[in-house]
Amino acid sequence: MNKYTKIIKGFVILSAILTFSVLLILIGYILIKGIPHMDTSLFALEFSTENLSLFPAIITTLMMIFLSLLIACPLGVFTGFYLVEYAKSGNKVVEIIRLTTETLSGIPSIVYGLFGLLFFVTALGWSFSLIAGAFTLSIMILPLIIRSTEEVLIAVPNSLREASFGLGAGKLRTIFRIVLPSAMPGILTGIILAIGRIVGETAALIYTAGTVPQIPDNLFSSGRTLAIHMYVLSSEGLYTNKAYATAVILLLVVIGINGLSSYVAKRFSKENVNG
Amino acid sequence: MKKNFLEKFMAIVFFISATASIISVILICVFMFTGGIPALREIGLFNFIFGRKWSPSNVPPSFGIFPMILGSIYVTLGAIIIGVPIGVLTAIFLSKFCPRKIYRYIKPAVNLMAGIPSIVYGFFGMVVLVPFISNVFGGNGNSILTASILLGIMILPTIIGLSESAINSVQKSYYEGAIALGASHETAVMFTVVPAAKSGILASIVLGIGRAIGETMAVVMVAGNQARMPNGILRGIRTLTANIVMEMGYAADLHREALIATGVVLFVFILLINGIFLILKRRMN
Amino acid sequence: MKRILTIGIILILGASILGGCGANNSTDSGKGFNLDKEIVVISREEGSGTRGAFVEITGIEAKDELGNTVDRTYEEAIVYNGTNQVLTAVAGNEYAIGYVSTGSLNETVRALKIDGVEPTTENIKNGSYKIARPFNIATKGNLTEITQDFIDFIMSKEGQEIVSEDFIAVDDNAAPYAGSKPSGKIIIAGSTSVTPVMEKLREAYLEINPEAEIEIHSTGSSAGMQAVINGTADIGMASRDLKDSEKADLDYMAIAIDGIAVINNPANTIDNLSLEDVTKIFIGEITRWSHIK
Repeated sequence: MNKYTKIIKGFVILSAILTFSVLLILIGYILIKGIPHMDTSLFALEFSTENLSLFPAIITTLMMIFLSLLIACPLGVFTGFYLVEYAKSGNKVVEIIRLTTETLSGIPSIVYGLFGLLFFVTALGWSFSLIAGAFTLSIMILPLIIRSTEEVLIAVPNSLREASFGLGAGKLRTIFRIVLPSAMPGILTGIILAIGRIVGETAALIYTAGTVPQIPDNLFSSGRTLAIHMYVLSSEGLYTNKAYATAVILLLVVIGINGLSSYVAKRFSKENVNG
Repeated sequence: MKKNFLEKFMAIVFFISATASIISVILICVFMFTGGIPALREIGLFNFIFGRKWSPSNVPPSFGIFPMILGSIYVTLGAIIIGVPIGVLTAIFLSKFCPRKIYRYIKPAVNLMAGIPSIVYGFFGMVVLVPFISNVFGGNGNSILTASILLGIMILPTIIGLSESAINSVQKSYYEGAIALGASHETAVMFTVVPAAKSGILASIVLGIGRAIGETMAVVMVAGNQARMPNGILRGIRTLTANIVMEMGYAADLHREALIATGVVLFVFILLINGIFLILKRRMN
Repeated sequence: MKRILTIGIILILGASILGGCGANNSTDSGKGFNLDKEIVVISREEGSGTRGAFVEITGIEAKDELGNTVDRTYEEAIVYNGTNQVLTAVAGNEYAIGYVSTGSLNETVRALKIDGVEPTTENIKNGSYKIARPFNIATKGNLTEITQDFIDFIMSKEGQEIVSEDFIAVDDNAAPYAGSKPSGKIIIAGSTSVTPVMEKLREAYLEINPEAEIEIHSTGSSAGMQAVINGTADIGMASRDLKDSEKADLDYMAIAIDGIAVINNPANTIDNLSLEDVTKIFIGEITRWSHIK
């Protein structure tokens, strides 16, 4: 018995160490290779083949995040409202919505990319553009937002709703004034996770948003996000070092987003305990 | 009156929003299938799926994706063999063995792993993993093995996250019962708690399979991408996703349609895997 | 916040230790090159302009007994979809051989002599280095004033000078640019290999003519040609000769010549191959470095 115990414990701890050290090596490698190639010219306002500035890519990434969230957030949050506050349990529609949401979250990004190319870019004639990319991405992040909204709405205690109804407030008022504020941090966590996905996405954007390295001047012009910037730099032979530097920036953004989401989640759980 | 109208109106707005995901799935299905069917008709479904030769620029060209289907399956299997034991054991560690102090640092690290863009993983695989495999195991490094290891790493956070919550949700009485019968902490966890979380862990594995089979950017950089039948774990392979992303940029006419049809095949695979996942999840609840 | 910081610091510390070890290990490669090892053949993906030109010139693409055109590239060849990936792979593997545009060569790889001829600008121009291809631009029908002016610029002395920084100019005695500098917008789409030089041309042109607006999409040769045929782009870029179906619809001209260098790892003792051996290696008839005469 004792032997078993030791072996089990050994394996379990070994695996955890393995997982953790893989992450360490990965991050360490990128930082060591990338940081020496960081310099201020990478952040010049205009892209040129001389400076290979990241700046337009950063702006495009921000625009892409804003647009995708603009489309996906209302849809996702409203879907959450419908599922939790309106639909009766056991409703067929609810089941179909759940099923399709799960399906969406399992579709790989390359399929989204192909779909975006076929539908938004070709069928709707939007060509490679910011808006085609944003629509594609918003479908991709929709399940994330729906699920986090739904989970957090279920967690809001019913007593709050009943109190509000008791005071004569209508359903809508209850939702927007009472339920939504206490669900906000949870929804925010979902949104932050969605931002993380947008920042890291390549396969879905290459064939929808295109690869133009300038800041797009309207919704229908093409632009490249940071991740695509890195992809393009690393496949055109001339600029490997800049690709490393871009990877560092990407990694820092991802670490930042993770920190932010765990911070929000922590605040949320504290509030929950107090409420 | 006005208020009542607003209530009704918003209820409808919420309902319409809720149909967005249904509409999206329908659109995706319709456009993927109509995009791929012309090529399937021209090449022939059987020739396309079981054809062993992919050489689109030959005259006449041949479009057979059987090597890629096998490639995707092999690489995914490899990822599961590598990723699942490590992932599940790490989940057990996090759930049952981890001191709270360490947990506070490791858990965010696992989340971080999930957030790292696949292109970064791919870059890492190409410059670190490929030479490493080549030195240790021989061959040229771009192999099924390399791709499996990289994918195994990439599916870790998926498996860890889902397995951990499955293990956490096992009722305490299982564990307490085993302890009361004289089992040690380790044996109680391994032989009563973990088996009780079986369907949850299985669901995490299925989700991991979905992730691995759909992964694109990272695989392209390490798998070698030879479009021929797989012949050895230290030899390269091309996956379905790699086939699409590598050639889409240059493809025209039938070649392009054949690539979209490759996407359709991948999509069908994913739908099947999703179906299995949903069934398992139902059973878990 | 403090927690995140601590994690960060631990990560960086741990990583630098591990990374440091990794770096040490890799330095001792390069000793003891073994000619008996298998050649690691690296190719590009089907449809790539570089591959298209390479297989055609070296005779890897050939007619079989039925009269069909067959690309005989070795089945075991690793396939990458980017120049940089080929460079990185060859730099990282002593036994590798690959091919890239001469414009992308760097010091991490060695460009092989073919039949004793180095892939220099001069040798490519006078035809003694055989593996080279044109960079084409294609247009359709009547050109807008701005498009014509930009093309005039590319073919002018200034434009060809920019081209010759990385590639080989098609016209050494071009007249200086004397365009009318009209305003307007041009959309350019096509080859990823031509894109870097087109970016440079764009920048130089915008300095002369700030009224112009130019958008460049790096989509691949075939997609670029398709875009011009559809009318979604004004100028298409191709890193290969146009296909007959494309020639029927488009007007085209070469703006630069690009050599394709066959590259291997600097640790390799072989620095010269005959064109025939190159073909044999890439179709898998020669599989070991020691089999080369």
